[in-house]
Amino acid sequence: MHAVEETPRLSTFLSQIANGLVLGSLIALIALGYTMVYGIITLINFAHGEIFMVGAYGGLATLTYILPTAIATTWYFALPIALVAGALVAMLIAVAMERFAYRPLRNAPRLAPLITALGVSVALQEAMRVFYPGATAALPFPNLFVEGAVVIPIGDGVVIRYVGILLVVMSLVLAFGLERFIERTRLGRAMRATSQDRDVARLMGIDPDRVIVLTFAIGGALAGVAGVLYGSYLNNINIDMGFQNGIFAFTAAVLGGIGNIRGAVVGGLMIGLVKALAGQYMPGGTAYDYVWIFVVLIAVLVFRPQGFFGESERVRA
Amino acid sequence: MTATATPRTPATPAAMPRHTGRFAGLLDVAAPRSTVLMIVGGVLTLVGAYLPWATFVLNEGPYPEKATLNFFVAPFGVTGFRLHLVILGLAAIVVAALRRIPARHRIVRGLGIGVTVVALINGLWITVEGGGLGAITASEGSIAFGSIVALVGGLVTVLGASAGGLERKPVWTWKLPWWVEWVLLVVLFVIVLLLVAAVLTSGGQGGVVNPYAGVVFLSLLAALGGAFAALNASGLLTWVSVVSERHRTFSVIVLLIVALLLPLTSAGTEYWMTVASNIGVYAATAIGLNIVVGLAGLLDLGYVAFLGIGAFVAANLSGAAASQIGIHLPFVLVMIISSVVAGMFGAIVGSPTLRVRGDYLAIVTLAFGEIFVRSAQNNIGGLTGGANAIPNIPAVGVGDFKFSDSIMIGSLRLPSGVLYYFLIVLLVAGVMLVFAHLKYSRLGRAWIAIREDEDAARAMGIRTGPIKILAFLIGAMLAGLAGAFFAHKTAVVAYDSFRFLESVTLLAAVILGGMGTIPGAVLGASILFVLPEKLREFSDYRLLLFGLALVLIMRFRPQGIVPDRHRKAELTDPDVEDVAKEGPGPLPTRVEP
Repeated sequence: MHAVEETPRLSTFLSQIANGLVLGSLIALIALGYTMVYGIITLINFAHGEIFMVGAYGGLATLTYILPTAIATTWYFALPIALVAGALVAMLIAVAMERFAYRPLRNAPRLAPLITALGVSVALQEAMRVFYPGATAALPFPNLFVEGAVVIPIGDGVVIRYVGILLVVMSLVLAFGLERFIERTRLGRAMRATSQDRDVARLMGIDPDRVIVLTFAIGGALAGVAGVLYGSYLNNINIDMGFQNGIFAFTAAVLGGIGNIRGAVVGGLMIGLVKALAGQYMPGGTAYDYVWIFVVLIAVLVFRPQGFFGESERVRA
Repeated sequence: MTATATPRTPATPAAMPRHTGRFAGLLDVAAPRSTVLMIVGGVLTLVGAYLPWATFVLNEGPYPEKATLNFFVAPFGVTGFRLHLVILGLAAIVVAALRRIPARHRIVRGLGIGVTVVALINGLWITVEGGGLGAITASEGSIAFGSIVALVGGLVTVLGASAGGLERKPVWTWKLPWWVEWVLLVVLFVIVLLLVAAVLTSGGQGGVVNPYAGVVFLSLLAALGGAFAALNASGLLTWVSVVSERHRTFSVIVLLIVALLLPLTSAGTEYWMTVASNIGVYAATAIGLNIVVGLAGLLDLGYVAFLGIGAFVAANLSGAAASQIGIHLPFVLVMIISSVVAGMFGAIVGSPTLRVRGDYLAIVTLAFGEIFVRSAQNNIGGLTGGANAIPNIPAVGVGDFKFSDSIMIGSLRLPSGVLYYFLIVLLVAGVMLVFAHLKYSRLGRAWIAIREDEDAARAMGIRTGPIKILAFLIGAMLAGLAGAFFAHKTAVVAYDSFRFLESVTLLAAVILGGMGTIPGAVLGASILFVLPEKLREFSDYRLLLFGLALVLIMRFRPQGIVPDRHRKAELTDPDVEDVAKEGPGPLPTRVEP
């Protein structure tokens, strides 16, 4: 680190905070899927990161192959269409995955679905690489939102791009909406009942299979939205993005207390901040920022496996 | 128990098992005609084998030369997969016709599945890679029906066999004079050696020049799988394993000698020796992983890091120019140091097991694995060479003599790399010995107890904490040994040999083979690391198929190819297991929990 004056140092710090929050809200959006699925069937859905990746490619495919150029380049058409398309593709894949890979193993011992999830993850990633034209390398992704940035005049200036703000706002709104949905609606109540005790829920007239499919669908849709927003923010997507961000999101979900919606959001933001700040200030710089996230993950799992918002009584074997 | 045949004749429909499941109706209809169906299936298979399969000559001439319809070119001279089909089909007919054979339906079902898979693999390959349906339908209007007829034959065989009701596997209790059994074992092991050599070299080296390698290999594997299933169903395999158990020491010695004789077979070239050595490395690592996952039931998703740590330690102590530590230690010492260092890291990675269980532990190990890869990628401490790797690691040698040289024994010239092969065979044998001894020791029983129920194990007075860490430590030490060998054999150690996918592949090898068993780990590692060599031409689809295969294995055979006799609770549904043991009969309907 060079010796710099106070204000530029402050502006660097604030920029990293901003970056961290943007990345963090993206991770939070993915973490919601992890946390919901784990909450209901106590499965670490390893392939959820790939759902996020598939959603991004679904959005990109819609923009490049389906929409006419005039619409694809007008942001107020392209953004909602791409978001919906990404969400739909991701949702479809998530539901298919549940139906064909996980449901047959519903009553199998715990190791089996976890290994299946690994297989699904590898298969999805490879299917994309093989079948999506040009996916062997990173693909450019257009910015679907207004170009430009807010500049906060501190030191060298703290630049926050509009699309970053959109990302933060959208993920907070979606997380809030999801929480309301789970707290207030009939289906949400069915989900909570299923997660507490599947057999009793069945006695109460709830079809657990439907609820589980719904969980996968919602989690998939959120991941799809996250995928499109990710592409829009970073302007390129690759097939490895799912694995990495999936692990981050899982870490976030655990950090916040798995099964807990608010926890996932807070955990996501924290992970984003850890990555941005560790890349700036820890020895090794950005080359080691992943390592710090994994260190946080291990520390949380070892010392506070119930996370910050989780109920401590829950037994995990 | 002696072998009891329960003939199911059409005359006694009352003895027919009632079928349940998706195909129950079909099976009930087919049940009275099961023998006929099996024979018809076998005949169809034979016919299919002799019908043309493609409008061009397979395995001859430049691909895809659509030369001729080789229809009845050589009625008794079919080769390759068609020969396998003929053998399987004939066997099915003979077994189906002989009502005295116990477990006849079960045997024929194995054969039928083999036929089906062989027909599917070759048929698909011909249509997909041979230029679409054009490979089957020639422009002059002639059609190659072979694959379709054989496929139907296989399915009919399976249908007939399943409809007839699957009998319990017979148990043979023959006891022969000891010297007869010894001779028998030697003959069998030599046959196994020849089969291994045949499988290894089948189709030759994969690549652009040889697009057949993968399919020839897979087809042979499927045919052998069918034959193996049939032998297993007849109870003969169990008998052989009982016999070899009776002469345990003798079997182990013969197996070791037989393994050392591989260079004398058709696999005795430099290329195949290298492939075999690599398989050995992964087999040794897989056995180490088997301790952690198979015995102690602790899922480790970052295991390949220990192989990597062993390899990097060895690379740094090898005197390679790029290594940070400029000393060159003798290989044996290097192996010991690599193993100890890897073991230390194993204990560190294992320490969270004191507090973390189940899938959370899997994530912790994954995180450790990722930390290792990232650190190695960034050339941490200058020890790993980062993206440049550590190249030019000198070969193991004594004085001027290098292990990578070819050697002459009398007039017999062995290919280069053969000494590495011998070394890895001994290494794998040593690792197996360690595993076998541990498995049946006090420690091994403690691991298995922890796997089955950790709280109960603790209640029985097992100190679960140290024992779980010991599983990681010993497993990592074995991987470290393999890593030291790997570094010297390949001469280059790079971080990207130790990625997450490698860990998953190792885990898949253990699961595919059968958790907690030695042959399982070796078989799994062999299949998963030979396949990429054979499927070079299809390397694009390799991982895709791998992922799907993982899903399918978990769905249909979670206990693996060689299931552990003692292992039940972890992966198989106890209800299903019981049903399988009861054999035929009205299946109890599962009560929804």
